[in-house]
Amino acid sequence: MSRSVWKGPFVDGYLLKKAEAARSTGRKDIIRTWSRRSTILPQFVGLTFGVYNGRKFLPVLINENMVGHKLGEFSPTRTFLGHSGDKRVKRA
Amino acid sequence: MRQRKRAKRTRAEGARPLGPEVGAKAPPGLVCLGAVIGAHGVRGAVRIKSFAMNASDIAAYGPLQSEDGATRFSLTVRGVSRGAVLAEIDGIDRREAAEALQGTRLYIPREALPETGEDEFYHADLIGLSVRTKDGEAYGVVKSIDDYGAGDVIEIERETEQSIFLPFTREIVPEIDLQAGSLVIDPPAEIDAGEPGKADRS
Repeated sequence: MSRSVWKGPFVDGYLLKKAEAARSTGRKDIIRTWSRRSTILPQFVGLTFGVYNGRKFLPVLINENMVGHKLGEFSPTRTFLGHSGDKRVKRA
Repeated sequence: MRQRKRAKRTRAEGARPLGPEVGAKAPPGLVCLGAVIGAHGVRGAVRIKSFAMNASDIAAYGPLQSEDGATRFSLTVRGVSRGAVLAEIDGIDRREAAEALQGTRLYIPREALPETGEDEFYHADLIGLSVRTKDGEAYGVVKSIDDYGAGDVIEIERETEQSIFLPFTREIVPEIDLQAGSLVIDPPAEIDAGEPGKADRS
């Protein structure tokens, strides 16, 4: 069963405070957090969180498409091993 | 309560493991595009685990070669099945010959890859670059580049500490010099947001 709408999205209070503080400074610091359960809110867009996956903090740069998802969805807990092959990366 | 027995997963006899070795480094100047994981049918077709961005592009860059360059493989891709590319190799027309190739890694020369666009890099070019800070201080070596759905992330292996992960953006990675084999980073500060169930650390 999905979460009741009247409750609103869940986000850990301390994370929200930190995010608002980081947003007000305008700096691009990484906010390290263990709170994988927190929902991504529209006010998080543009911030970078370091989301713990049980071993390390993976940087998660929030964009509009991620709103409504949980932070943990972007920090996988399983290790993927493979060759780079012909994969390319574009600098954002 | 009745418990359902989980089926035991078995590996075919004689199969060589492709587990942790899969991440092994390719020889200099070569890019690993795939590995033969088994035979398919009785006419010498092989199943290939492709490391190409688009799995069936494995034969798009010309003939492949073995790690030592002694053997060349001309592939004809026949399709994709159960996560593996099905292909025929010139000169291999029996199942026994295809089975003998199991575990063989398939490489192409780095030069065979097409030119990249502006601010676009091959993972193969970035991995292994030495990393310096803006002050010129040695920081580590690029270990991997991944995308977990929140933008590209660059992993930097450090000698004394754990690897660190940074977003692959212009702000954080302002300079990349492939000729010199190095890149410059401007790592951002990190703020601790506290742990669930614990008091706010601020």
